[in-house]
Amino acid sequence: MQYNGAAVIAMAGKDCIAIASDRRYGLRNQTIGCEMQKTFQINDTTFVGLTGLMSDAQTLEQKFRFRTNMYRLREERDMSPRVFSNMVSSLLYEKRFGPYFCEPVIAGLENGKPYLCGMDLLGAQVYTDDFILAGDCTEAMYGLCESMYRPDLEPDELFELVSQCLLSGVDRDCLAGWGCTVHVLTPQGVTTRHLKGRMD
Amino acid sequence: MLSLGALDYSPRLAARHREELDAPPVEHELLGGIGLPDPTERCDDAHDVVKMVHGTTTLAFKFQGGVIVAVDSRASAGAYIASQTVKKVIEINPFLLGTMAGGAADCSYWERYLGMRCRMFELDQKKRISVAGASKLLSNITYQYKNYGLSMGTMICGWDETGPQIYYVDSDGQRLHGPLFSVGSGSTFAYGVLDTGYRYDMSFDEACDLARRAIFAATYRDAYSGGTVRVYHIDVDGWHRISEDDSMELFFKYKAEKEAALAK
Amino acid sequence: MRRSSGDKLRDALGLGGFSFDNARRNQVLALKGHMIPKARKTGTTIVGVIYEGGVVLGADTRATEGDTVADKNCEKIHYIADNIWCCGAGTSADTESTTALISSQLELHRMSTGKQPRVVTACTMLKRMLFRYQGHVSAALVLGGVDCTGPSLYTVYPHGSTDSLPYVTMGSGSLAAMAVFESEYKSKMTLEEAKALVHAAIMAGINNDLGSGGSVDMMVINKDGNTPLRNYDRPNLRKFRQDYIFPRGTATILSEKFTPLSSLVTIETETSAMQVS
Repeated sequence: MQYNGAAVIAMAGKDCIAIASDRRYGLRNQTIGCEMQKTFQINDTTFVGLTGLMSDAQTLEQKFRFRTNMYRLREERDMSPRVFSNMVSSLLYEKRFGPYFCEPVIAGLENGKPYLCGMDLLGAQVYTDDFILAGDCTEAMYGLCESMYRPDLEPDELFELVSQCLLSGVDRDCLAGWGCTVHVLTPQGVTTRHLKGRMD
Repeated sequence: MLSLGALDYSPRLAARHREELDAPPVEHELLGGIGLPDPTERCDDAHDVVKMVHGTTTLAFKFQGGVIVAVDSRASAGAYIASQTVKKVIEINPFLLGTMAGGAADCSYWERYLGMRCRMFELDQKKRISVAGASKLLSNITYQYKNYGLSMGTMICGWDETGPQIYYVDSDGQRLHGPLFSVGSGSTFAYGVLDTGYRYDMSFDEACDLARRAIFAATYRDAYSGGTVRVYHIDVDGWHRISEDDSMELFFKYKAEKEAALAK
Repeated sequence: MRRSSGDKLRDALGLGGFSFDNARRNQVLALKGHMIPKARKTGTTIVGVIYEGGVVLGADTRATEGDTVADKNCEKIHYIADNIWCCGAGTSADTESTTALISSQLELHRMSTGKQPRVVTACTMLKRMLFRYQGHVSAALVLGGVDCTGPSLYTVYPHGSTDSLPYVTMGSGSLAAMAVFESEYKSKMTLEEAKALVHAAIMAGINNDLGSGGSVDMMVINKDGNTPLRNYDRPNLRKFRQDYIFPRGTATILSEKFTPLSSLVTIETETSAMQVS
């Protein structure tokens, strides 16, 4: 949906994942802010990136929080990324005939191993073991990721790869960019970095 | 009835021709030209097809030292950035500059044509054409082609016997004379900066900086403007290229300046 | 807030099912000329064939979103029961959730009857569901399995009509695959013959239909159980690749923060002696 503009990449490395997004919030051609959060940490091992209509993305993020919190209260444990993505999928499919305009990307560590799952706006899941893209410059980013991706990268190498793929991708897109946020999740913790990007 | 000659392909006219010539219509369609569909219908969705350089920011203003012209350099097709290095200032002749907004092909073709017409004028009259005259040539063309699907918003800037002049000409056939214009999707953002900082008695450096900042603000706020900020100056000797700055470098330069000012 | 009474009732009774909360808003947005994002479709070649003693199902592995290949190696052969599997074409989300829903209903049915479910039961459940939604749930399915009546094979169309045939194809590549079946099929094939035929049919879809591609997935079901043959043939693997690693420090970092996992953090609090007096 080319209204707000967004770009999200998630990639798997060796026992780690990276998820990155741009930081622009705009209304069509008008840039409103450059500190928009589009990736959200759900728990210690799960991240979700949301693209599409930002009002729907934020509504969904709150629904996810509600459901994951209820799950934790009932089960006394966190949702694993796999459980979480199934929950997201059924939440989206419930609105099959009046969908949220949002394409989620879920990335996490399932029992210490990378787990990636992408979805369309109706909740059709796509599982990959390399990378998942969402947003409105996916064509540009697919080319980069397809040629640059290599399995079993270390967290630092994965960070550089994700960063370059995203930065180069958004440089060819009017509606995304204005800086990037990259999260790298390892079994030890999360490293969050803000990147310098083109501001036009 | 005045005939527009080759320009008018309207079906009504074609039909009339057909009656006059009293020949079967199929043959005329084979001859081409006469049987063409109404271009106003044919170009109904031209705006969807001609997307290149639709998003743009251009500006021009007069001040005590002449005219400043500044533009961005992004060409987009939908949300896709087709180029970041477009030249949106068209150098018509040493004393005339045209800016480019809307369809890239429309602007570059007709302003090149305008250059030819201006040179013809010079050879004919043994003097340079006035900016008013040049802009009128262009606006006559755009008015003839009104509703045919042309897409251009341009400023014809220059220096003639009457001094510095700026004319705004667009594909609706509109032609305006004024001291300050901004055209394109980012024009609102540029006007914001321009109107706050503009004074007629600015120094040359102040004027260049204002133009640069105005275009930069548009590249920052407008999704369809970006790339490099190009600034031109026109004085009694004609136009000069002043500067070309990457908008990303400008962002971090202005940010550092702002932080330094706050720290004081 | 305007809500249809159906949604209210659904909420009040705690029922599942579709919610139409956003339908009205989306209609308005579409009317105002907003680009409505497209759902992922599986422009697909899916086939099934009965051989002597069982069924072989086959599918390609391409999922598309407009012109883009969204997934090069997706799974289109869905689980219904151990002895029944189902290939799906159409809108990805619809085929996935429809088969999952019927699968769970059939499992409950199995538990209440205590018998192995029959393929015809699954077929009836699917066609009832799809007919109820009048083709709006766009799932085109090839359902195959083996039960006490022997092997059986069905196609289920999005509007709820079904066919029972010895060899079937579905999806955008169905014509290419059917051409192979029509020329090569014979009754009472062996397993190896059936596998070769299904492979040839899917390859015809992959090579001749733009909506199909990727690899060949197969599923063999007979009275001994099922044998998944995921990525039975991978004709379209990348052949040339140059590895490149970006040197560290390529991207300019403006700020960096490390947050250890909350499970690895111990929160130390000062404990004071309990007040007793």
